[in-house]
Amino acid sequence: MEKNDTLDAKGLMCPMPIVKLAKKMKEMPVGAVLELIADDVGSKEDVPAWCKRTGNEIVDQRDEGNVFYFYIKKIQ
Amino acid sequence: MVETKKFAMVVSEGTFDKAMMSMMMGNTAASMGLDTHIFFTFFGLRLLKKGSNPKMPGMFRFFTGMMIKKMKGMGIEAFQEQLTMAKDLGIHLYACNTSMELMGIKKEDLIDGVTILGAAAFLDIGADSDMQLFLG
Repeated sequence: MEKNDTLDAKGLMCPMPIVKLAKKMKEMPVGAVLELIADDVGSKEDVPAWCKRTGNEIVDQRDEGNVFYFYIKKIQ
Repeated sequence: MVETKKFAMVVSEGTFDKAMMSMMMGNTAASMGLDTHIFFTFFGLRLLKKGSNPKMPGMFRFFTGMMIKKMKGMGIEAFQEQLTMAKDLGIHLYACNTSMELMGIKKEDLIDGVTILGAAAFLDIGADSDMQLFLG
């Protein structure tokens, strides 16, 4: 998956991956894709909820064992 | 464009657990783009005093340091850092004026950036909100 930047949130528990994701996305230009890596089980539900609420899009995601990869495109 | 939702929360307890919950919930809400308003009343008001350092309730207060350390290990900042984050995220913080009088807390005892108001003014904000929570 093509990406413009990566945010490694491994080891962080809810709500920190979301707080850091929001901060990071603010710095990125519209159209850019962020790779978010998290191992907090809650992020599997939290990241889609954040995207839905903020109007951004998950263009791809995958799990590698207990590590979750999200590819989030900045729409607005 | 997603419609901006308004979120109003009341915090009526000043113990560590309520303090952390209010900041974690508030900072997450603001990170999700919610217009977030938090009203601190009764014992919750003490959290807005400069340098406040809330403790776990009752006998558990002796374990506060352990909790802070454990949460730090999970990437969760201490209360004062979270409060700074809340202000940076543009969260509106309100102090209950009756609680100030009751607890002998003066305006200059409070951190900067807090609006002092009464129940009616906060309920007006709450009535316009899409979501209301009470932490107490």
